[in-house]
Amino acid sequence: MNWTCEQTEARLSDYLDGLLQPVEQSAFNLHVNTCERCAPLVAGVAHALGGLYALESVEPPPQLENAILTATLGAPSWRNARRWLKSLQSPRFVYSVASVAATLVVILTASGFSFRKPKLADLRPATIYHKTDRKVHQVYAQSIKFVSDLRVVYEIQSLKNDNLENPATREQTIPQKSPDKQPGRTDKTNPSAPKQQNRADEIGRNLRVLAAQCPVLSGSIGERRLP
Amino acid sequence: MEQDAQLVQQCLQGDGSAWEELVRRHTRRIFNICYRFTGNRTESQDLSQDVFLRVYRTLGSYRSAHGGFATWMTSVTRNLLIDHYRRTKRDRITDSLEDKMPAVENKESAGRRPDEQALLGELGGQVQSALTRLSPELREAVILRDLQQLEYSEIQQVLSVPEGTVKSRINRGRIELARILQQMGVRPS
Repeated sequence: MNWTCEQTEARLSDYLDGLLQPVEQSAFNLHVNTCERCAPLVAGVAHALGGLYALESVEPPPQLENAILTATLGAPSWRNARRWLKSLQSPRFVYSVASVAATLVVILTASGFSFRKPKLADLRPATIYHKTDRKVHQVYAQSIKFVSDLRVVYEIQSLKNDNLENPATREQTIPQKSPDKQPGRTDKTNPSAPKQQNRADEIGRNLRVLAAQCPVLSGSIGERRLP
Repeated sequence: MEQDAQLVQQCLQGDGSAWEELVRRHTRRIFNICYRFTGNRTESQDLSQDVFLRVYRTLGSYRSAHGGFATWMTSVTRNLLIDHYRRTKRDRITDSLEDKMPAVENKESAGRRPDEQALLGELGGQVQSALTRLSPELREAVILRDLQQLEYSEIQQVLSVPEGTVKSRINRGRIELARILQQMGVRPS
């Protein structure tokens, strides 16, 4: 197959890009090797292509990026301000603000600040301090009282448990009722000791007082029977 | 490529840093296309800025389903370059007439910086000079194929012409470039 000069010129890029089929490649080579017009043309185009591939990437001017950003987004100061405003939307900042707000609410509530009827005077540091101080003392006193009440309850509870676990001791500590014998007799009928009787009475009184002071405990104490 | 599409989405949602990233990624490539087309750094800088300005304004019209962001941006660049070529055609004709007057000094060398002159002494400079003498339609085809290494399908998308036309333009552009280089006295060794 013999190619003409027009055919060769039309397929020149395909030849240079290596896109010709083997048959086409042979025909192309056959023509170029025998044609005085096409041989220098192919060499010239290959040379030009080599020159194009040898062209290096040109470094853009350093101020170009900044000029583009200024033309599109505005001046650098405005861009920084926008970036800062954007950072306010970050979850970390929101959590920080929420925790600070919660702390302020706790402090104001503790100081007796009324959110329904807010007064400017309530926000004075001296007022907040005095109110908070008073509140703290009240809470402290209440907690001390609560702990001491709890101690009494636990003492009673432990005493009751001891009696249940050791019936022998119970028999010794609990006064036995005998229709014939009065307490304090010495006829070896194991009467109750007067000291133990007095302690049981005392605990019973304490429980009644505690039940009166702490209505929450009154139910559970009322259910229990005193020894 | 997908990253570009994500950045575009973020830009459309008002994320300035995403746009900054897009500018950083594509400035060099766009500047090089402009420079190879015009052969002038100052013009290329202004044109690159115009390209990004237009892209920023029309970012909402970009559809990732229709092709890559880089191809779309190249298409915008090409349109601006053609507009620029048509706008400055009258100036170039005037310059050409002045070049033919015997008393006028060589404007081509007078307007260039010393470093550009040195560059012209090399093959790269000569090829660049030959490129700017090509007709715009052949020049853009050669730049996109041989300098930007785009596929035929991408060039077809950028130029909005059939693939056969793309191949034909690239072929004619290369042959024409070789002829110009030969006229300039640059011959294969």
